[in-house]
Amino acid sequence: MVQDRTSLHSAIYELADALDANELYQQKGWTDGFPIVPPTEERVHECLEAADLASGDTIGVESVRQRPITAEKVAVNAVMAGCLPSYMPVVVAVLRAMCDEDFNLHGSTASTGGSAQFIVVNGPIRTAIGMNATHGVLGNGNRANATIGRAVRLVLINVLGCIPGELDRSTLGHPGKFTFCLAEDEEDSPWPGLAQERGVPAGASGVTVMAGEAPRQVMNEWTKDPEEIIETFAAEIRHNMLTYSIWSGNYAIVIPKQLRELLVAAGWQKKDIREYVFRSARVLRRDWVKVGKKNIVERGKGPEQEFIALRSPDDLLVVAAGGPAGGFGAVIPPWLGTWSHAVTKGIECGMQNDELQKENVCR
Amino acid sequence: MSIRVLDPTFEENAAASATVVGLKSLAGRTVGLLDNSKINVKQLLDYVEELLRVQHGVKAVVRLRKPDASRPAPPDVVAAMIGCDALISAVGD
Repeated sequence: MVQDRTSLHSAIYELADALDANELYQQKGWTDGFPIVPPTEERVHECLEAADLASGDTIGVESVRQRPITAEKVAVNAVMAGCLPSYMPVVVAVLRAMCDEDFNLHGSTASTGGSAQFIVVNGPIRTAIGMNATHGVLGNGNRANATIGRAVRLVLINVLGCIPGELDRSTLGHPGKFTFCLAEDEEDSPWPGLAQERGVPAGASGVTVMAGEAPRQVMNEWTKDPEEIIETFAAEIRHNMLTYSIWSGNYAIVIPKQLRELLVAAGWQKKDIREYVFRSARVLRRDWVKVGKKNIVERGKGPEQEFIALRSPDDLLVVAAGGPAGGFGAVIPPWLGTWSHAVTKGIECGMQNDELQKENVCR
Repeated sequence: MSIRVLDPTFEENAAASATVVGLKSLAGRTVGLLDNSKINVKQLLDYVEELLRVQHGVKAVVRLRKPDASRPAPPDVVAAMIGCDALISAVGD
């Protein structure tokens, strides 16, 4: 029997209005604490259609508990998060990436380390759905950035049970657990986009997801030397290695326009940045004395044992994004280095970009 | 006028999985203890094994180990669970 692509399988609640729906979802713990948009059948259908998915399609499976994430549940949570249907292909691609074994979905979402999914979007879908890549890019203000990340969080809460104190054992967590999603500023950068560097064809859209801790902001407005600029980022990575976690793995750095232009003027490509950080972001076990951890200096191979932040230069995710003014940048450390790797996936789009753009209207 | 809204949570397909009826007693049973590689798990499970043997009269304790707390148990470890009547499958920090 051919499955009816349009039939929905979720339990249905009949309520007086949207405010009552929000109260019910709040009482049941089905939100991140913020109000939700009521997931009506019509809106859920629109999301599924935008991603060319049938309700019963499996987006991925959380491998430890063998729990499937179906397209219908993703669409329900995307509507709740406030997504427009045109955002759905991005949400789906992010979840597909997170179900890749390399990402370690269970560990990174359940751990006391309290990471969030740092999401970078590349390619034409960014502009088609109106994502922000400039002012306040790690902050508030853009519907797509805010609700794509939020939709992923709501799927974790509602489909996988990543509820703080239950499966989510975060000691602290961080604000990125509400949303942690940006677009790369491809229009204002001569560098290749992150997804393209990681295998998505030029001209296609892609997402990269990393289990990330809270961003650490850096600033250096006192040099035009590319090595000195990137050394400030490397120093912050070294600090993270000492004060947080020594495990090597993916780090992300976000470089806004002011510093980026100096690097470009000096002829630096992303590759040069990665190679510099690979060489510079290293600490010795004895450095732990300076941060209150002298008790572990004698362990392992002793005080002169070297630790590297990146297993290879390619572990560094270099993202061009942020507002035009200010010599700032950000380092996003990994949840636990080698235990979870950043994953990049292409975005499979049900609609062409001009159709997405047409759909991208507030109601 | 009213609105119809959908449940956002995972809804277990009753046909696909069934809840095991709990054991009334552990006496004479075989219990698996899965070490998930977290710090101090061995000491904790040593104590649990002692409790199971001394206070609950279990017939046997099967000690199992998976190398990574956050990934699925390898197939051979899962296969070794098959003879157990009960299993403690996870230990947190």
